[in-house]
Amino acid sequence: MLGPRESSLWHMISAPTIWALHFCVVYGWTASVCARGPDPAAARLGIGIATAVALLGIAVVGWRAWRQWDYLDDYDYEHDGPSVEDRREFLGHAGWLLAIVSAIGVIFVGMPALFIETCL
Amino acid sequence: MTDITQSMSRRVLENADDARPEGIYPPTEEMLDEPVDPELRKAQEERLRAVWAEPPGWRYWSAVNNSEVGAWYSLTAFAFMLAAGLLALLMRVQLAVPENDFLSADTFNQFFTMHGSAMMFLFAVPMFEAISILLLPAFLGARDMPFPRLSAYGYWSFLIGGIFVLSSVLFGIAPDSGWFMYPPLATESEGPGSDIWLLGLSFIEVASIAAAVELIVGVIKCRPPGMRINLMPLYAWYVLVVGGMILFAFPPLIAGDFLFEMQRSFDWPFFDPERGGDPLLWQHLFWIFGHPEVYIIFLPSIAIAAMVIPTAARRPIMGYNWIVLSAVGTGFLSFGLWVHHMFTTGLPSLSLGFFSAASEAVVIPTGVQIFAFVATLMVGRVRMIQPMLWIAGAVAIFTAGGLTGIMIALAPFDWQVHDTYFIVAHLHYTLFGGMIFPIIGGVYYFYPFFAKKKMSDRLGRWSFWLTFTGFNLCFLPMHLTGLKGMPRRVFTYPGDIGWDWLNMVSTIGAFVVASGILVFAYDLLRPKSRQPLTERNPWGGGTLEWAHDIPDPGWGSRSVPYITSRYPLWDQPKLLERMDAGRFYIPDAPEGLRETIVTSAVDAVPQHVARITGPAWCTIWAAVFTGGAFIFPTFHMYPPAIVCGILAIACVIYWLWTSTALVPEKPMKDAGLGLRLPTYVSGPRAPGWWGVFITMLGDATAFASLIFGVFFYWTARPDFPPENAVHADPAFAGLAAAAFAASWAATRIARGVNRSGNVLTARLLLGAAPLLGIAGATALVLAVWWPGLEPATHVYPAMMWALVVWTCAHVGAGVIMQGYCLAGSIFGKLTPRYDADLWNTTLFWHFLVVTCLITAAMIGILPRML
Repeated sequence: MLGPRESSLWHMISAPTIWALHFCVVYGWTASVCARGPDPAAARLGIGIATAVALLGIAVVGWRAWRQWDYLDDYDYEHDGPSVEDRREFLGHAGWLLAIVSAIGVIFVGMPALFIETCL
Repeated sequence: MTDITQSMSRRVLENADDARPEGIYPPTEEMLDEPVDPELRKAQEERLRAVWAEPPGWRYWSAVNNSEVGAWYSLTAFAFMLAAGLLALLMRVQLAVPENDFLSADTFNQFFTMHGSAMMFLFAVPMFEAISILLLPAFLGARDMPFPRLSAYGYWSFLIGGIFVLSSVLFGIAPDSGWFMYPPLATESEGPGSDIWLLGLSFIEVASIAAAVELIVGVIKCRPPGMRINLMPLYAWYVLVVGGMILFAFPPLIAGDFLFEMQRSFDWPFFDPERGGDPLLWQHLFWIFGHPEVYIIFLPSIAIAAMVIPTAARRPIMGYNWIVLSAVGTGFLSFGLWVHHMFTTGLPSLSLGFFSAASEAVVIPTGVQIFAFVATLMVGRVRMIQPMLWIAGAVAIFTAGGLTGIMIALAPFDWQVHDTYFIVAHLHYTLFGGMIFPIIGGVYYFYPFFAKKKMSDRLGRWSFWLTFTGFNLCFLPMHLTGLKGMPRRVFTYPGDIGWDWLNMVSTIGAFVVASGILVFAYDLLRPKSRQPLTERNPWGGGTLEWAHDIPDPGWGSRSVPYITSRYPLWDQPKLLERMDAGRFYIPDAPEGLRETIVTSAVDAVPQHVARITGPAWCTIWAAVFTGGAFIFPTFHMYPPAIVCGILAIACVIYWLWTSTALVPEKPMKDAGLGLRLPTYVSGPRAPGWWGVFITMLGDATAFASLIFGVFFYWTARPDFPPENAVHADPAFAGLAAAAFAASWAATRIARGVNRSGNVLTARLLLGAAPLLGIAGATALVLAVWWPGLEPATHVYPAMMWALVVWTCAHVGAGVIMQGYCLAGSIFGKLTPRYDADLWNTTLFWHFLVVTCLITAAMIGILPRML
């Protein structure tokens, strides 16, 4: 169902999917640890680990998307032609941009754990 | 030029004996240059015209074509908007002066509840669906949407539900607990108001999901040959994203409605803290829907801007890829914001931090598209066409609303202004800027396409300036009113505390907005029979909708073109001439059937000529009875509701049996330009399979929301499950799981053996499968009934029962589908070669078996581990 990378919409949205999973994990973890504990240190540690894992995943996805975009090959960023190459590079470009936004999203969502030291 | 059979890999082995596309694709320039015989062209046009003609006389209302349904849909949504706007005006009259007694407190409560609910559920979301149904096939050069009868069913459901909900105001029994219906206020509210809201709007939510399914399948499978994913009009991208968002946003609300109505009708205490419930669960489920909803409204409207701006700037959009990023990114991030509506509910500050941060992060993708629009205008040669005025106003107002959004995304600021008029100002800035202005601009822009006439430029400018000034006059002061402490939803206020003149100004502004909207309404609806027809491409646009025919022959696209550009009318010089001549695909209707071309999801390689459904009454009956099934329970009239439910199912079965997945007269047909395409496909190449897949994604989300509920109670409540609670019987739960798994396996195996020609075994399996399903459902009910779980005593047994009820209802649907396939096999509708129904049923059961197994584990195993 996923299909080959260069022609798959599912691969294009894998970075934001990692963002969504990270968000669910962080939200669920904090809710359980703070409600059942409350143990802010464990909450913050878990968030830190989840954030690191998610960023790593997004980095891998982003790197592959960058390769698929292949910008440095011809400095093309428009991709409006009717060819397989245009479509492949378009999906790579969109995937790469989504990886950037997702990474920012993950960092933003993880950041409160740096500053907030309480479950209250 | 290549032979298409070689260029397509055989990914699904079981489909190997299916008919495959044969012949030449893509077409060569020589083939496209070949002239069409004028006699033939005329004969083709006559046949097409006859097939696509709208039904005459009173039968007009049985039409299902996207141009009719889309027009009814948008006019109905507009009428509901005017009604909801009238409520707002009456509220503004009440608030104009302090201590006013124009409206009673109770009436005021009903009015603001209905104003919000109607604007959101009866106008904003349906308007997106309506406009997309009208426009999408034209953007894609398609003849129609993939499931026209589903659009019609959605429309009639919307009309019935909308009239039901809105008319409750006239009888003074409207919901009065605010558009988000917070318990305990809403659960304890007297009279049928809350039930009207819950059941009436659930009914409309179902229609919304139906439209979303149709639109997603339309974008993925009904693009013209050659329109690869990187060439798709931006509107289609937005529709795809918004359709996906609807699938993940509406189901949590439907799950919430289900729990809520169980509490209202049967006193199952989901939101009652005295019996272990928690009112906050409703807030979570509501806002998991409610915040993405804002973007569901905003994105398709801004998509209109993405279509108008290149035309006004007379150049392709700048940063197409960036706008795709923006749409997809916003679609995702908007699901991480819901708690910013709940900053004051006392959640851990760490949690508030995530949601605050995510709310700030969503600004990035939202802003990117605005910058792309501005960049396009800067590098283009802009003509200030009248629709562009509305788009410019939209961008200005939306940006202002976005800036206050950044402020209230910060929890400490939100604590200060929560539930004040500052929020009212913010949300109206985002919704007017993000929805009303672009939509009206879009109506002016696309009107020549809808109606083949033009609206008045002069009235349009009047309307714009009245609406724009009035809007700012009405809502800009509200920021200050809010900062000065005036709370929302109060029916009156004391004088001399600094709110008087601000409210008076807002009221005057509201009437100026109303006059602007009325000028627009007049311009839209005034008779134009003496006005000349418009020219074909009045604004000089580059996308396919301007290849429309004038006057409208009903066929959508004379022939389905081969596309090689994002702006085919600008870049493919002979395109129009060839489309008109019938040089492209399916230029004829020799079988007298409505058809459109189905292409592959990413590269738009032709796969299939889909036969689509024509005018029908059964869709209206199905909607009427579905309406009955939802409306009767509002007044606690259950027997007629059950009868209506059964009749609705009967109508749907009749509709499917008589018009979908029919065995074609021949397996392949000539699609034109040397290409032969199958007339029947099953599995992932068929639009119907995608329809089931997408519906089930939404359904899985609703189920996941119920599971979220279980874990929510577990984290939020110390007494879930209560000590010494009666648990469900694990043996019965295990038995149910085994029976469901066997039913699923029988269905899946039946598909394989049927395909290999062993019809008798397939029939035996399909006969056994429903029995196993019913046995499983019985065992599941026994698992909670036998040990004596009393749902009204505590939220824990109630939640276990809710899971069982949900699962059994789905098993009911699954059993009907298995029976349908068995009947199909017996009556020759389903054969080894033509087995789409069985593929779709199997797909449904893949999802269903997961639901069943999780339910069995949730009731049988998990509570003992918590």
